[in-house]
Amino acid sequence: MNGRKSFGAKKGGRGATGAQGKDGQRRPMFRRRKVCKFCSDKIDDINYKDAKLLLPFVPERAKILPRRISGTCALHQRKLRVALMRARQLALIPYTAE
Amino acid sequence: MTRKYELVYVVSPEASDDQVTDLHNQVDAIVQRFSGSSIEKTDNWGRRRLAYEIGRHKEGTYVLEVINGTGELMKEIDRRLKVTDLIIRHLVVRVDETQAVIERTKAARSATSQRRRVARGLPAERLPGEGQRGDADDDRDDRFDMGNERGMDR
Repeated sequence: MNGRKSFGAKKGGRGATGAQGKDGQRRPMFRRRKVCKFCSDKIDDINYKDAKLLLPFVPERAKILPRRISGTCALHQRKLRVALMRARQLALIPYTAE
Repeated sequence: MTRKYELVYVVSPEASDDQVTDLHNQVDAIVQRFSGSSIEKTDNWGRRRLAYEIGRHKEGTYVLEVINGTGELMKEIDRRLKVTDLIIRHLVVRVDETQAVIERTKAARSATSQRRRVARGLPAERLPGEGQRGDADDDRDDRFDMGNERGMDR
């Protein structure tokens, strides 16, 4: 249900941007509703061995991307955190970046 | 009480292939010593770049072993790997419980979807070529858009 909502809304968002170009008026920026990647893609297993899956959640500074930004749900953020910390131990992802 | 564990160890890049196999045999020997335990799977990921330097190493050979055994066995393996100089990093994780949880969620999800499909008068399984949410023209990934992150518009 959530997915459907964000879907329709996003198309509206695109249209709004186009309209902005035409009449040059500022409209309140539309922000797409963030969805949890693991819920929407139905990824059950957040595995520490899968560096490819984890890498989008460690930005340049190598800190863990907060839920506020990534939109990950609480359950999956907890699992993600454990996976990230394990992957860090094995030097699959960095602790820090200089 | 046998449980399933995953063991990943990183071997120093200076080690030859023979030495890597030798390490595997050492682990195997310990597993054999404990009755009722076995190595379910071994997977050599090969040489990979480390995300950060460990000691002075920038690369390492990763080996994954899936082991059925007891806690005592894993303790012994852990102890042995700690004192092995050739191994620069290792990690033991118990996986049987998490795997059971994953299977349960998967089963529950497919059961729910089948029930709903039947309730809508559709066949229980998705037919080939039948559309689903992920197939739509949603190719723009703005999940990690950082713009305006605090939710303030002006």
